[in-house]
Amino acid sequence: MKLNTDMAVTRIADEVWEIPPSEKPGMLVPARIYATERILETMDRGVFDQVTNVACLPGIRRYALCMPDGHWGYGFPIGGVAAFDTGEGVISPGGVGYDVNCGMRLIRTDLALADVQPRLEPLMTELFRKVPAGVGSTGFVRVTRREFEDVMRKGARWCVEKGYGWHEDLARIEESGCIAGADPSKVSDHAVERGINQLGTLGSGNHYLEVQVVSSDRIFDPQVAATLGITGHDQIVVMVHCGSRGFGHQVASDYLKVFEKAMRRYGITVRDQQLACAPFRSPEGQDYFAAMNCAANSAFANRQVITHQIREAFAAVFGKSAEELGMHLVYDVAHNIAKVERYPEGELVVHRKGSTRAFGPGRPELPEIYRATGQPVICGGSMETGSYLLVGTERAMQETFGSTMHGSGRTMSRAQAKRSVRGEQLQRDMRQRGILVKAVSMSGLAEEAGFAYKNISDVVETVDRAGITKKVAELRPIGNIKG
Amino acid sequence: MPFSFRFLEDVALADVAFEATGDSPSEVFQAAAQAMIETLADPQTVVAARCLTITREDEDLAALLFDWLSEIVYVKDAQGVVFREAVPVVRQEHGRWRLDATLVGAPVDPAAQELRADVKGVTKHLYELKQDGTRWTARVVLDI
Repeated sequence: MKLNTDMAVTRIADEVWEIPPSEKPGMLVPARIYATERILETMDRGVFDQVTNVACLPGIRRYALCMPDGHWGYGFPIGGVAAFDTGEGVISPGGVGYDVNCGMRLIRTDLALADVQPRLEPLMTELFRKVPAGVGSTGFVRVTRREFEDVMRKGARWCVEKGYGWHEDLARIEESGCIAGADPSKVSDHAVERGINQLGTLGSGNHYLEVQVVSSDRIFDPQVAATLGITGHDQIVVMVHCGSRGFGHQVASDYLKVFEKAMRRYGITVRDQQLACAPFRSPEGQDYFAAMNCAANSAFANRQVITHQIREAFAAVFGKSAEELGMHLVYDVAHNIAKVERYPEGELVVHRKGSTRAFGPGRPELPEIYRATGQPVICGGSMETGSYLLVGTERAMQETFGSTMHGSGRTMSRAQAKRSVRGEQLQRDMRQRGILVKAVSMSGLAEEAGFAYKNISDVVETVDRAGITKKVAELRPIGNIKG
Repeated sequence: MPFSFRFLEDVALADVAFEATGDSPSEVFQAAAQAMIETLADPQTVVAARCLTITREDEDLAALLFDWLSEIVYVKDAQGVVFREAVPVVRQEHGRWRLDATLVGAPVDPAAQELRADVKGVTKHLYELKQDGTRWTARVVLDI
């Protein structure tokens, strides 16, 4: 087996690999990577370097983890999970990611492919009109500074109070769409000014809104699927991937600067500037946590406003209310976040960067409707290949701090993807294959071509076989909106 | 040699990296800004509808360049504009570096402009500003 590292990597289970602390000076715990042999061979050098750098951070517990969709990131690898003792450990913006609470949302419908196919063109046009995407896009929700502070504190709850959602939506969002401890006074004016007009916008890069179909033969657990509202029979669902936009990025950038100085004061050294961190209980650590929670809540609000617009678009095109169309939220999960959670080791601040919470059945944090199934996990693939709905497991609680993968993971640079295909050509090819794409930027579209990503099915099979999440259904794209 | 920039591949798989060069601090600041501007939109499609002035100071030139590029991202989001060109003037005063710049651009208009990637921020990954003789070179990775 040829790996992109000189470090010793030992197989400790079929889909679990370990790098012992002896492989790098300063490692406090082993690093563990979830992957098949084939996926491990394709992982870039950054994954091995970065996951072992994370294992050196103060107060880390058990392992520094990387999921099978892992690839190089800033400081922490994408697909990284690390848990730190809240007393002795640190918090790091590099372990959360710049796009705080970037996440996935899935909305079900009672519509079937046969209902939607004849009206797909007007539907995608209406969605493209109602959900702004791309550089500099602004949303239809206009808020004052004071109202934006309410958004920071209340997240999706603010939206429901204002009529942008249904009360039942809240139970189907991680943390009910409102994380406690958000303090707008810890957020800079720059961050507010970047975010105040962006509620209800997709952004660009790998963010998207996708209309998908669920065939009965691609449902792997019909009983769990039914509980989640997924019935198959070419059922139409809608997936949204986006986060806190410029607001969250500015929060991360602001606190990276603060932490660079704080590290000197606390005598912390790191192997990479992008791993800048501060003790979780320090004033700087608590300030970042409060500001990060503001950004996380704004991301929940962003996806909630987008959901409102999606429901309006469907209602306009199909001439029925969203309620009549059965447009219930399946779930909304964050995949860039740090949260305080309790494990046998005690209270830990769990960083998930390009990793999804995957709590198993019975956890009190889960809404009543999903307490028996385990938490829904939404994993987005490339716009050409499809996505998956999974559920969390007890094994994830034991092995990965209740965490799993988030998507397929990139394998090709944006420039190389653009050289390989033109956006206009890709759009035509996809239309011929039954996927209607609306994009603000044709070069941006080319950058997101399916061949630039790992095969999501390989990644999903890995976490399913490892037992840290179980497959429920595969979702195939028929319409996509990109920035 | 005038200022120039080139995009770097395989430095940041999911993002955009570039190297900017110039014969003076002003030129390397202009080259880096132009790389940022071209990442956001084709400047040929952006009219000169707005002109903004930016002034910054720092004792560290690399930190000043980082702030300058971050400011362009901030203005893009806060004012909803993309850019045609940037004209920075950088000089040293009393041991500190001072930037006086103008940013020329227009409100985002997808119908008229060729929009590209929405830069979310400037990162410190492999970030570098160095001087070799009279030639200045900056390496920058943008988060997309």
